[in-house]
Amino acid sequence: MHAAPAPDEVIRTRGLVRSFAMGSATVHALRGVDLVIRRGEYVAIMGPSGSGKSTLMNLIGCLDTPTAGEYWLEGQPIASLGEAELARIRNREIGFVFQTFNLLPRASALRNVELPLVYAQMPPAERRRRATEALQKVGLGDRLDHRPNELSGGQRQRVSIARALVTNPALLLADEPTGNLDSKTSHEIMLLFEALHREGHTIVVVTHERDIAEHAERVVTIRDGAIASDERQPRPVRP
Amino acid sequence: MRIVEAGKLALESIWANRLRSFLTLLGVIIGIAAIVATAAVIHGLNRYVAEKLSNLGKGVFVVQRFGIITNRQEFLDAARRNKRLLPADARAIAERVPGAEIVGWEVHATADLERGEHVIRDTDIGGVTPAILEIEPYEVAEGRLLLQHEEDHAAAVAFLGHEVAQRLFPNVDPIGKELRIGGARLTVVGTAAQKGSFLGFSQDNYVKIPFSLHQKLYGTLGSVNISVKAREPARLEETIDEVRAVVRARHHLRPGAPDDFGILTAEGINDLWRNLTQTIFRVALFVVGISLVVGGIVIMNIMLVAVVERTREIGVRKAVGASQRDIVQQFLVEAVLLSCLGGAIGIAIAYAAATLLAANTPLPAEFPPWAPPVAFAVCTAIGVFFGIHPARRAAHLDPIEALRSE
Repeated sequence: MHAAPAPDEVIRTRGLVRSFAMGSATVHALRGVDLVIRRGEYVAIMGPSGSGKSTLMNLIGCLDTPTAGEYWLEGQPIASLGEAELARIRNREIGFVFQTFNLLPRASALRNVELPLVYAQMPPAERRRRATEALQKVGLGDRLDHRPNELSGGQRQRVSIARALVTNPALLLADEPTGNLDSKTSHEIMLLFEALHREGHTIVVVTHERDIAEHAERVVTIRDGAIASDERQPRPVRP
Repeated sequence: MRIVEAGKLALESIWANRLRSFLTLLGVIIGIAAIVATAAVIHGLNRYVAEKLSNLGKGVFVVQRFGIITNRQEFLDAARRNKRLLPADARAIAERVPGAEIVGWEVHATADLERGEHVIRDTDIGGVTPAILEIEPYEVAEGRLLLQHEEDHAAAVAFLGHEVAQRLFPNVDPIGKELRIGGARLTVVGTAAQKGSFLGFSQDNYVKIPFSLHQKLYGTLGSVNISVKAREPARLEETIDEVRAVVRARHHLRPGAPDDFGILTAEGINDLWRNLTQTIFRVALFVVGISLVVGGIVIMNIMLVAVVERTREIGVRKAVGASQRDIVQQFLVEAVLLSCLGGAIGIAIAYAAATLLAANTPLPAEFPPWAPPVAFAVCTAIGVFFGIHPARRAAHLDPIEALRSE
């Protein structure tokens, strides 16, 4: 197979197509995307709304399956996997960070972060230890028992980042992570991503904001369901 | 996800919506409470009847003109066909059935009792041979039982039930005193110990007099009930067959013709009773079954609402790695716990009701030990049956749509 992924590739897609039936018409959200992301890269996927970047993110995040094309995550072919295997991949290999945080409102920060480990069948004591560590890492070691409504927006997003990190996934996948935050808090969150990047985490941030994308070392622009540009940036200048 | 985790989650969510959960469960609560309370009453009655019947004594059976009659036509047929049983029949049994240890007979009438201004109306007057008092144990409180020479001479003597003694002779020792039955004056020779009541009917409202005296007072037209005590209780069936053969021969029945008399045994009465209560229980089960189905549908409805309310939560869980199986398990466990919670409340209500009934009414309700496990099994089945559809609906939500919902 000429496109077999190399060992340092976290993501490789080939001719990725995703179409939706809208009544009698077919909408082509993605029209053949070839993308390779290597271990340790920090990539921003940019594009206006309706460009197909969310569709691409859902495919990369294994929340959706492509209409055509191939996708390898950590060398595993994903396109042919069933529901239960996709759930396992999401659990082990991917950490999601959402624009709206998507924390469980009735659960404490600690229990929110434990959630992926629950589905990984980890024993409670181990789970608690790992979740506590993850929260300490994002600077919330003193907020373990707080519920989401007792935390500020920035703190909620930190909880959600801790939840994404707790399984030590191959890929951190953030969808407009600062969309619901003020600029000062946004900046703090982006600094956190950079710190994680320096630790060696592979990070993909989907955004439509240029200044957020500028924090990444590589910017992939999507337009009309295809990659319009793919540029490496000089090391971002930190103010 | 482990089942314990799912259980904890379910309890949290039930607790978070406690009023709604309780209202949802009313159908199951009422259904389980009703059926368990019914079972408790029937269980209590069965135990009680079995106990009372065992008083009748081991190896004792009664030959009567009418056996167990369950409908009007049977009664009419029996009234037309069945001959009166006579003291001669009883004597024949005593002579020809070696397995019969004691044979006694009794005939009943109803009359008013008088002593001065004390009157008891419509009391059961039993004319008995002394053997009857031995076969159906009558415990003596004061005085003595009736004697054979009193039977031989139709002596004007009486043995009183507890209630009769209390009402005719308040604060007086009745032994040796007189009472009047119709025109006759009888002397009290003994009183019986209290037997108590059966389903609210007193069992102490009777007078026993010698059979020969009874015939003098009320004539010889009544059919007698013949009580037989088998020599060996283990050979009861054979003794019954021998007695049956003797009575059939005296009645000149052709082979194959049905008996024109009835034989009652403690087991026979017990069986009849159990058949009766089982029928009641089945009817109750059917009625309650409907309420449980309604209760199940209400649970299904509320679980469907919960799926809609928690769409986003389901999306998050799927995004972090919950499989469809995990989601099905979570919602199914919640439905089962919900339903079992209803069952637990229903059992508690039934337990309280049975205890109150037993304490305050003549109904001998007794809480059956098998009720809780059976009720929980039924509730689990309801939870699974009515929970599976909402659970599958939750599991099949598209994670992308679910995460977008609000």
